[in-house]
Amino acid sequence: MESLKAVEAAKEVKQPKLKKAKTKITWKKIKDQKVLILMSLPFVAWLMVFAYTPLFGWIIAFQDYKPQNGFFGSEWVGLKHFIDLFQQPLFYSALKNTLGMGVLGLVFGTLTAIMFALALNEMRFTRFKKLTQTVSYLPHFVSWVVVANIVTQTLSISGIANEVLLSLNLIEAPINFLANPNSFWGIVTGADVWKETGWNAIIYLAAMTSVDQEMYEAAEVDGANRWQKILNITLPAIKPIIVVLMIMNIGNLINIGFEKQMLLGNNIVANKALVIEKYALDYGIGMFRYSFGTAIGIFKSIVSVFLILTFNSIAKKTGQGGLL
Amino acid sequence: MKMKKIVASFMLTGGFLLAACGNGENSANEGGGEGEPLTLTFFSADLTQDDPFSNPVAEKITEETGINLEISHPVGGDEQAVPLMIASGDYPDMIFAKGDINKMIDAGALIPLDDLIEERGDNLKMLYGDQMDRLRNSLEDPQIYHLGTGGVTNTYNATGGTNQIALKVLKEQGYPEIKTLEDYEKALVDYMAENPTTEDGQDHIGLSLLGSDWRWLITVGNPSGFAGGMQDDGQWHVDEETGDTVYKFQLPETKEYFTWLNHMNDIGLLDPESFTQTYDTYIAKLSSGRVLGLADQDWNYMSAVAALKQEGKDESLWAPLPTTLGEEYVSQSTKDYGFTGTTGISITSSSEYQEEAFDFLDWMASEEAQILVNWGVEGVNYEIVDGERVQTEEDRENSNTNANYNVESGIGAYIWPFPAWGTGAVDSNGQSITRSTREDIVANYTEADKEALEAYGVDLWVDTFPTPEELGSPKHGKAYEYVLPSSSDVAIIQTEADDYTTQKITEAVLASPEDFDTIWEEMQQGLLDMGIDKANAEMTDLTHQRLELWGEE
Repeated sequence: MESLKAVEAAKEVKQPKLKKAKTKITWKKIKDQKVLILMSLPFVAWLMVFAYTPLFGWIIAFQDYKPQNGFFGSEWVGLKHFIDLFQQPLFYSALKNTLGMGVLGLVFGTLTAIMFALALNEMRFTRFKKLTQTVSYLPHFVSWVVVANIVTQTLSISGIANEVLLSLNLIEAPINFLANPNSFWGIVTGADVWKETGWNAIIYLAAMTSVDQEMYEAAEVDGANRWQKILNITLPAIKPIIVVLMIMNIGNLINIGFEKQMLLGNNIVANKALVIEKYALDYGIGMFRYSFGTAIGIFKSIVSVFLILTFNSIAKKTGQGGLL
Repeated sequence: MKMKKIVASFMLTGGFLLAACGNGENSANEGGGEGEPLTLTFFSADLTQDDPFSNPVAEKITEETGINLEISHPVGGDEQAVPLMIASGDYPDMIFAKGDINKMIDAGALIPLDDLIEERGDNLKMLYGDQMDRLRNSLEDPQIYHLGTGGVTNTYNATGGTNQIALKVLKEQGYPEIKTLEDYEKALVDYMAENPTTEDGQDHIGLSLLGSDWRWLITVGNPSGFAGGMQDDGQWHVDEETGDTVYKFQLPETKEYFTWLNHMNDIGLLDPESFTQTYDTYIAKLSSGRVLGLADQDWNYMSAVAALKQEGKDESLWAPLPTTLGEEYVSQSTKDYGFTGTTGISITSSSEYQEEAFDFLDWMASEEAQILVNWGVEGVNYEIVDGERVQTEEDRENSNTNANYNVESGIGAYIWPFPAWGTGAVDSNGQSITRSTREDIVANYTEADKEALEAYGVDLWVDTFPTPEELGSPKHGKAYEYVLPSSSDVAIIQTEADDYTTQKITEAVLASPEDFDTIWEEMQQGLLDMGIDKANAEMTDLTHQRLELWGEE
């Protein structure tokens, strides 16, 4: 009974479709897709409540916001906070550090994840492969507080890194790695790679397992060796995934958080460890400058959108297919 | 069939939404019925560990007042707790906001206490007496928003000094006089040459600092002023005569101290991990007995002292020293600052239990409460012998060797930041209200302490310092307790300057000696570029305003 109705409804939908444009929304179409619409409604509501409504708060970036006066009572100051922000030397060093560590993290994070996924994919012992995979993504679930402590201990003067280097006679006196401002970006990137490689590799590995096995078999018949198979089959096959992930990650280039920098940093490397979010926290909200903090947030969002659009159009133009 | 699917999808997604929105009502303010204690929420900006308010002293407080406290504190030195509280408008019943109190006042979050004190604050009136003016907010708004802590009448029988040195160093060298940094350095160098390692074979460390977090100010920043004969004004220095206030790290005295630290680093006496180690590592290092010299304050390394006493390594404990840059400077460590009272507990305007909270705080200022928070529970922590309180041996042992003594026993946990009588106050029997009389302090000394003190011919370590009478009292109190007006730039400049100097001075100390001057000059220029002159001028104004408010000018 019900299925009959559905068929009729489908017929009815088909007829006007021939005459009018595809995108035209009709009541019938809505009726037809009401289950889908109802299912998506809560998520649209979620998006409205948690992602769009807070955007109204952006107006405080253009005010001298005081909590006691509220949104409507605070004085309007136009772009004062943005001008203020762009005059701060500290802001530029925070921006430099954020982008620096963001780019390093993106490049090395992606490269190591792909290489690790390739290595796992080539592995033939299923059990060992599973075990390696599980072990390698576990650090993802360890909090940065713990990871930072492990890194600090490892790299301290009496830590294992120095012990090993000393016993191999590679160095004469222990090096205090954490006291060298120039190696800070590297240490953060290294810790990040250690923590996230296994986790990031999962998605690449999933993409690799869906590659048609017949292509490998055909390549084998043609006499291709492992390297040739990796370079000519596996990598091209997962290229769309790499591009999609790149676009998404590039949008987050500036949102690298501040936990790692705060936990691994100290007063010696402070100059290299200050990132935008920490700056917003310390000099924005920490000093009751709610408006200033919001201005930094807006700036960050604009940079993110700009980066996503740029990379997306580059990807489209070079024929890699964009996300948007 | 279809209907079921729809309903199911609704319930599922609706469930997610509900879970996301389910922000339970704050359940803290329940109870208060017959016989059930009323729970008040309290935020303490200075607390660094959890206190469930369940120790014997807390239980006794609840029994007497019918009030139970739910105490929260900032986690990990976080400075955003109060700003976030204001942004959300979600306040506890009582708050110790410290330097952020003016922001709370501006936001209308605190209630003036003048009338309450007048009507029902008998204990508080008795406590503050003629010092009441020092609680007033400002010249424009001279109301009272907080109950000052820190004790109204104080004696100075214990201090951390400028630097500390291990007792074993003093002992081996026949207890020499150590007055200057030069003496201090010599003592360390000589001892290290004779004893490169501890008895169990670990390398000795000459001088260890903790410069990786906010304690940089305690172990690196502050000693530079102390060594220059300045009192503790935080990052500032106030000229006692003119009231001129300047940023401390612009002064030649601090430069001289850091030059010395740089030299200590150069000759390998400074712990190379001084600026990278965490607090836990630092305390662990101190607890091992390897560290000979410190530039810390006693309250910061208390747990290491307890650990060393526990292991019987009395000779690895440290003696406080009044070290200065040279004979012409006088250490101000034992200075009597008078009642400064600018920080303390406030009651919030959103609290439903303002009167209950006030009565509770008033009770905390009573004699009964002061004896309880200082001495603990009768029969457990002390006994009455001949009409006087005497601490039990068991409790003394516990207080010396238990690193968590305060929170576990409750003694000392509720003095700061509550209204307190102070270390110099006496009860109605004439006995000291706190356990810090000369006798109490001597009783807590180890054998190694006593041996050293006998050699110096004094009873207490403070006796090797100038007396409070010689030093006089500052008219302005302490500059770091100033409440910075929210409209001024001084707070922003100070934060920037603090971040900058912390990093630059660290760099200068660790640089090779020939580069030190260049880095220092660069830092001075950097401070000027930041507008430090403007901040100095504003701070000078604040000093004068305070003197006027306190009726000192």
